[in-house]
Amino acid sequence: MKNAIRVINELKERGLIKDYAIGGAIAALRWTEPFFTQDLDVLVILEEEVGEHGLIVLSPIYEYLKEKGYIWKGHWIMIEGIPVDIFPADPLEKEAIAEAEEIEYEGVKTKVLTPEYLIALFLRTGREKDKHKIGLLLEQAEVDREKLGRILDKYGLSERFRALVEK
Amino acid sequence: MSDQKILIGERVLTREELFREAEEFRKERARFSLEEKIRILVEMQKLAQSFGGKRDVIVWEI
Repeated sequence: MKNAIRVINELKERGLIKDYAIGGAIAALRWTEPFFTQDLDVLVILEEEVGEHGLIVLSPIYEYLKEKGYIWKGHWIMIEGIPVDIFPADPLEKEAIAEAEEIEYEGVKTKVLTPEYLIALFLRTGREKDKHKIGLLLEQAEVDREKLGRILDKYGLSERFRALVEK
Repeated sequence: MSDQKILIGERVLTREELFREAEEFRKERARFSLEEKIRILVEMQKLAQSFGGKRDVIVWEI
């Protein structure tokens, strides 16, 4: 995985993205016991947010990766043997990237979303598997409840969170 | 019946003690390094592919 992270770091070094952080299951895995997952989710802040027709343009990133010989497999781009999903960040995700923890993975620097933002993002998607991850995070990670409360309030997710924990 | 004893190997535990130990074990695994967790994940992917018969599972190259 460190080679995949190196390639993602290159996107930033070459100015194709402003910043990024690992999200989704692999970020959750940083804070919980190991569980099964298939892909590496990467949230990116683009250099240019919107293209000509109001579309979010990821083409420069994919062009660069294609030139390096990485291929598509379904909706994933295979980077150094890892299926990667690249998502352009929305306001909540941008804040999550800014607040992400800097770590080293086998000596390669990267950023991983913190439990509070992961809970907010999993709440927003709300699939059963996301709810399961929220449960793991609340049980096994050190969650700053005040910070979580602020994030949930700001993004209108407090009610959804209450409904989930009261269930 | 929470004080019902269960014999596990050479140890006798109550159901409550057993659950507490299991929870502690999971919390301990949560403290592994990300590198170690990724190694475990890859083993799970291999298992899902072979034993689980899920041919479409991609085993990561790490």
